[in-house]
Amino acid sequence: MVDAPERKYLALFVGEAKEQLELLQGELVRLESAKEAAAVDLWASVFRRVHSVKGSAATLGLTDIVDVSHAAEALIGRLTSGKTLPQRTHVDALLEASDTLTRLVREAGKLIEPGALFVPQADLPETPPVVKKLTSLASALAEAALPEKKAAPEAAKVVVDPSLPRLEVVVTLSQKCAAPGARAMIVQRKLKGLGTLIEMDPTPAQLMQTKGGARIVAQLASDKAADEIRAVCLSVPEVESVEITSEAGGKVVPPEPVREAPVTPPPPVRNDQPRVPEAELRADATVRVKAELLDQLLEAAGEVLGGISRLREGARRLPENTGTAFEHEIDRLRRQARELHNKVVNARLVPFSLLTERLPRAVRDLAHKLGKEVDFEIAGADVELDRAVIEALGDPLSHLVRNAVDHGLETKALREEAGKPARGKLSLAARRERDRVVVQLEDDGRGFDAQGLKDRAVAAGKLTAEQAAAMSDDEAHELAFLSGVSTRAEADEISGRGVGLDAVQRAIESLGGKLSVASWRGKGTRFSLELPRSVSMSNLLLVQVGGELYGLPVPRVLLTTEYDLSARGGEGFESRSVIVGGQWVHAYGLAKLFGLPSLAPPGPRPFVVLEVDGTTFALAVDRLVGQEEAVVKPLFPPLDRVAGLAGVAVLGSGRPLLVLDPRSLSEMAGVRGMAPLPPRVEAANDHTEHGAGHGDGRAHSAAGSGR
Amino acid sequence: MPGKRVLIVDDALFMRNTLRDIFSTAGFTVAGEADDGVQAVNLFREIKPDLVTMDIVMPYKSGIDATREIVQLDPGAVVIMCSALGQESLVMEAIEAGATDFIVKPFRGEDVLAVVKKVLGE
Repeated sequence: MVDAPERKYLALFVGEAKEQLELLQGELVRLESAKEAAAVDLWASVFRRVHSVKGSAATLGLTDIVDVSHAAEALIGRLTSGKTLPQRTHVDALLEASDTLTRLVREAGKLIEPGALFVPQADLPETPPVVKKLTSLASALAEAALPEKKAAPEAAKVVVDPSLPRLEVVVTLSQKCAAPGARAMIVQRKLKGLGTLIEMDPTPAQLMQTKGGARIVAQLASDKAADEIRAVCLSVPEVESVEITSEAGGKVVPPEPVREAPVTPPPPVRNDQPRVPEAELRADATVRVKAELLDQLLEAAGEVLGGISRLREGARRLPENTGTAFEHEIDRLRRQARELHNKVVNARLVPFSLLTERLPRAVRDLAHKLGKEVDFEIAGADVELDRAVIEALGDPLSHLVRNAVDHGLETKALREEAGKPARGKLSLAARRERDRVVVQLEDDGRGFDAQGLKDRAVAAGKLTAEQAAAMSDDEAHELAFLSGVSTRAEADEISGRGVGLDAVQRAIESLGGKLSVASWRGKGTRFSLELPRSVSMSNLLLVQVGGELYGLPVPRVLLTTEYDLSARGGEGFESRSVIVGGQWVHAYGLAKLFGLPSLAPPGPRPFVVLEVDGTTFALAVDRLVGQEEAVVKPLFPPLDRVAGLAGVAVLGSGRPLLVLDPRSLSEMAGVRGMAPLPPRVEAANDHTEHGAGHGDGRAHSAAGSGR
Repeated sequence: MPGKRVLIVDDALFMRNTLRDIFSTAGFTVAGEADDGVQAVNLFREIKPDLVTMDIVMPYKSGIDATREIVQLDPGAVVIMCSALGQESLVMEAIEAGATDFIVKPFRGEDVLAVVKKVLGE
């Protein structure tokens, strides 16, 4: 089993390396279209990331990772030093290297799992094949001139005797080191006494005010023996270890069983990035927290809020003189708990870039495969969303993006024929709008074929030919979200069979979001995703049916109204209609939908008017109970297969509550596919309407809730 | 390091006593003590110690200036700065002025001796 400190460093390494590799992928893809100046920066950054992964992996003795990253580093070194422009094959190989590294890092991560064995190096599988590819590409670039001119700016002043051997000296400072900046300065002075110090990373100034150990990498031109250099460095207090690698031939006298390949002259390396291992050793302003812990914190904060609600409920039964003071105190507590809840919610926010980093790669690969040219732009990558939203958004978003490249954008030939630029444009933008985040994906492709969608919808039995004929193009575009309409008949390697826009819409809606589309024939398509920024409390309208309590999401509630059914034929109705805002809308009994007995007394009964995708319908309930904020959690099998349910929430009273899914209800009731009723002028006298806000918390709430 | 001669420079008596105990116990000879920078330079010239421990913030002449003068007098002088936590930039200034090394207060005897032994080449 991996011992504790080993495990801690490994966990750290895995986390950091994954991040570095993901960013690396994005940068590699951007490199292909980057202009000269930007490309120089990108190459520097790419090199730094690979170098950083290599350095940490070497420290941990993860030789496979060292081998691959070293080979990648060598190729990058050649690419940035020579006159040869990077070709697609180079980027492909580097992307493959980054894939391999990601896999190896993930495998290394398995060592952290309890019971895992630390694999001795001898047992490791052979060198990954990508190493050979990288190495041969690097050597094909010939012995290009060393990038002397490309040394770091401060190094430019250093005059290096070309006859002196180049060495990389890695000095590790003790974790007990109280002043790493000053300590590094002493090391710097010692190194300067041994030869020409070309570069030192991090510099003493960068290490100032940091705490604990640091790993200093110095490039030294010196004719001194490695042993002498090591001895001099080790004579400095608080220097824990010294590793010396010569440029010409591998490690000089390896003091530890860590294998490291020859070093490559680095391209310009900006020194602003902290190195991986040391970043953690310092007392940084940020700490890593397990995602799971954030989930637990949110849950706990929610439970505290719930408990306070219950206390407040109980306080109502106290005598008035004590009750008021008590309630006052509870309200104060509730404000604080709410603040705590908000802070937890905010701590869970992660940048949209977590999703977008991998998209350019997917777009690039797919476009190449399809023989298309695509310019992919991303804006608002720094917009933050809850990690649960980000996690759940990954698949639907990548589906939409693939869809756009596959079906939205035309081939080069077709575009030119249509008088469009040969390169298709695809843009993804996120922006924050109060407590929501709007993500738009726009292409300048062929646009939706409204007639084709109508035909397929009719063929799928979703609407009649007459209804189709009466539909506007905009309405027809929404048909793409119906199951069986967007799904392609033939098996599709890219988007997969059977996964259509309906699945994407369901996924977005289960997040509490909305998906809409606007399309212009021949010009392009725009998908808009309106997402909750965080999984804060949902506002629920509580209704009672057949003795059971259910929740309906208030944002879906148009209004509540009362209607006397006895005047229209009494109970047992399956589908009737009520007047809402001068329009007749279909009404359904919620009890009937769930096969429950209705316990409503005769006379006027409440209806909840809901809206799904512009279609309005009403649900008869026995009683409106009130409104409450709660965290809605998804249902687990087998309950998740019950139609009509969105999730479960726990009320302030501690009582669990099933939350209904209006879309699923409308499907159960068969609201879809029915043409709106013709407006009727003669208004019925037997109803009253209660205005309700659109999800602004002003929805009708019955007075004197029975709880 | 028996027999090595030390000059202790610190304006705080407590620190001088602490350092004296540490060095005497380890077999060093405390050849002199100074409580400001001016005195430190004068004593250094007079007793030519093998090692100087130098406080940074002192009256009349700072430890940094005193170090600079001492190193000018004797480029081989071994001067160890005694700094408090949070004085890193001052320590770095002192290193630039020629200080050999540093220790950070609060320190334990073994910490001081570890640095001294390293610096004097054990």
